[in-house]
Amino acid sequence: MGTEFTEALSRTNFSSFDWAIVVVYLSISVVIGLFVKKYVRNMTTYLGAGRAIGTWLGVATMTGTEMGLITVMYNSQKGFKAGFAAFHIALAALIVTFIVGITGFIVCRLREMEVLTIPEFYEKRFDRKTRILGGIMLTLGGILNMGLFLKVGSMFIVGITGLSQDSRALPAVMTILLVLVLVYTVLGGMISVVVTDYIQFVVLSFGMVVTTLICLNKMGWGEIMETVQTLKGVSGMNPLAEGSGFGISYVMWMFFTAGLVSCAIWPTAVARALAMESTQAVKRQYMWSSISFMIRFLIPSFWGICAFVFIMTMAPDLKALFFPADPTAQVVDNLYAMPIFLGRILPAGLIGIITAAMIAAFMSTHDSYLLCWSSVITQDVIAPIMGKNFSTANRIKWTRILIVVIGLYILYWGLVYEGNDDIWDYMSVTGAIYFTGAFSLLVGGLYWKGASSNGAFMALLSGLTAILGLDPVQRLVGLKVVDTDTGDIIRQTMTGDQIGLFTVALTIVVFVLGSFIFPDKPKTIEPAAA
Amino acid sequence: MWQTLWTVLFFVSITIFAGMSVWVSIAGYHDLKRLFKRLNEDQSEDGE
Repeated sequence: MGTEFTEALSRTNFSSFDWAIVVVYLSISVVIGLFVKKYVRNMTTYLGAGRAIGTWLGVATMTGTEMGLITVMYNSQKGFKAGFAAFHIALAALIVTFIVGITGFIVCRLREMEVLTIPEFYEKRFDRKTRILGGIMLTLGGILNMGLFLKVGSMFIVGITGLSQDSRALPAVMTILLVLVLVYTVLGGMISVVVTDYIQFVVLSFGMVVTTLICLNKMGWGEIMETVQTLKGVSGMNPLAEGSGFGISYVMWMFFTAGLVSCAIWPTAVARALAMESTQAVKRQYMWSSISFMIRFLIPSFWGICAFVFIMTMAPDLKALFFPADPTAQVVDNLYAMPIFLGRILPAGLIGIITAAMIAAFMSTHDSYLLCWSSVITQDVIAPIMGKNFSTANRIKWTRILIVVIGLYILYWGLVYEGNDDIWDYMSVTGAIYFTGAFSLLVGGLYWKGASSNGAFMALLSGLTAILGLDPVQRLVGLKVVDTDTGDIIRQTMTGDQIGLFTVALTIVVFVLGSFIFPDKPKTIEPAAA
Repeated sequence: MWQTLWTVLFFVSITIFAGMSVWVSIAGYHDLKRLFKRLNEDQSEDGE
């Protein structure tokens, strides 16, 4: 990307001492995986930690999983681009998660049913074919969703450590990280995940608060506000304003995705609820986690805002890279802004702790997601097909094999995907392939006696419409036309958030109509394949 | 209005989060001890 970029990266405070902190911290994760392996006896302990997680450990592990490096990166990108208007996403997460905690909407009923996965619920409520299709849709959306994790994680490491993105050291570091994750996840399952998430929560929450205080001390809240107001105007404050990049449909989409989906439909979050010791613990966990869910959007957005202000007012070398005066000059990807900014303002020692915590966050997201998707394929696609012949030992073996296979796939996908979506928008769309259908099935299945298995099946399939929200797909089918020279959008029929909302509405309509037109026949109750 | 909203949201949230982090870290540690105690008990029962 040029000598100027390499020169800018080299001005980080990251030192050998910080590398030592990172290595020691990460080694602990592997040791934990080896230590807890002895407790894994069956799928309940491997996937659900024996359903023995208390409230506060549940809050810590939920936050540890959901406050990943990717979360930090995409939210800082939003803050960098949109200023304080991006805070609306945090507000949506707080309000909706708290309401879910108060009411127990979706999550408590799922916990009462004692299922291990959402597709298992599909079979209990509907039928086996719904479970299998649900499992396929979930893993399709989920694996696509995490396809850019490795790429985005590498950008953080490049930005904060100054490690050259062109050297062989970077791919080696990323591969080592992935291998570490695979080792302790394969060995210890959910117990490893819970313990490493807890440690990560402690280190990351401390680090995030201290880093935020340093940002405030260095730059001043008033100055930050004033600079954003001056450079971005009202669109830097009001998410509904013209030019903010959001608008009413986007804000609604955020209440649905950052709010409801993130806490009550996304499998990794729901997996925590299913592992809690009681429904009361679930409600407490969600009420308290609403603050963490908000913070995971708020603080990184704030860092992105600080990065923007820093670049515009204090770092002319970076301003030339991110906002070159020459309109034909190559612009550095704004995902690098926040990590480069942190590399400049954090002192040695603290920068190592933050980096270690962020890398641990990166790993904890991977371990939870890998465990989730692989267990869904094992429990909800393979097991229902194999029936009673599928022993516990084979289930655990297949889950472990799939963890490795999916890990290799995301290595590959991070290299080939070419799209210009913001990372959060990419994740919303790919996730929507799963959660638009899941929303209808969960709400309808839990709260409406008239819901039928055929309606559920059709609703799941209609969730595939969400893929039209992806940038490359939009260009392919003509929903978006872009000037190939400037990259400016010439025409866009529907934005990704509008397609997401449309898909939600479509799945609801299809589910309701399908249930009325093809109701379930009265059936004898059969036990679901566990 | 937006400036006030975001200022209040930010400072109230970070204060609560800081306090909550300390509490969750301590209480979570006790939950972790209980988890391992239960896992050890279950393991002993299986061994009998």
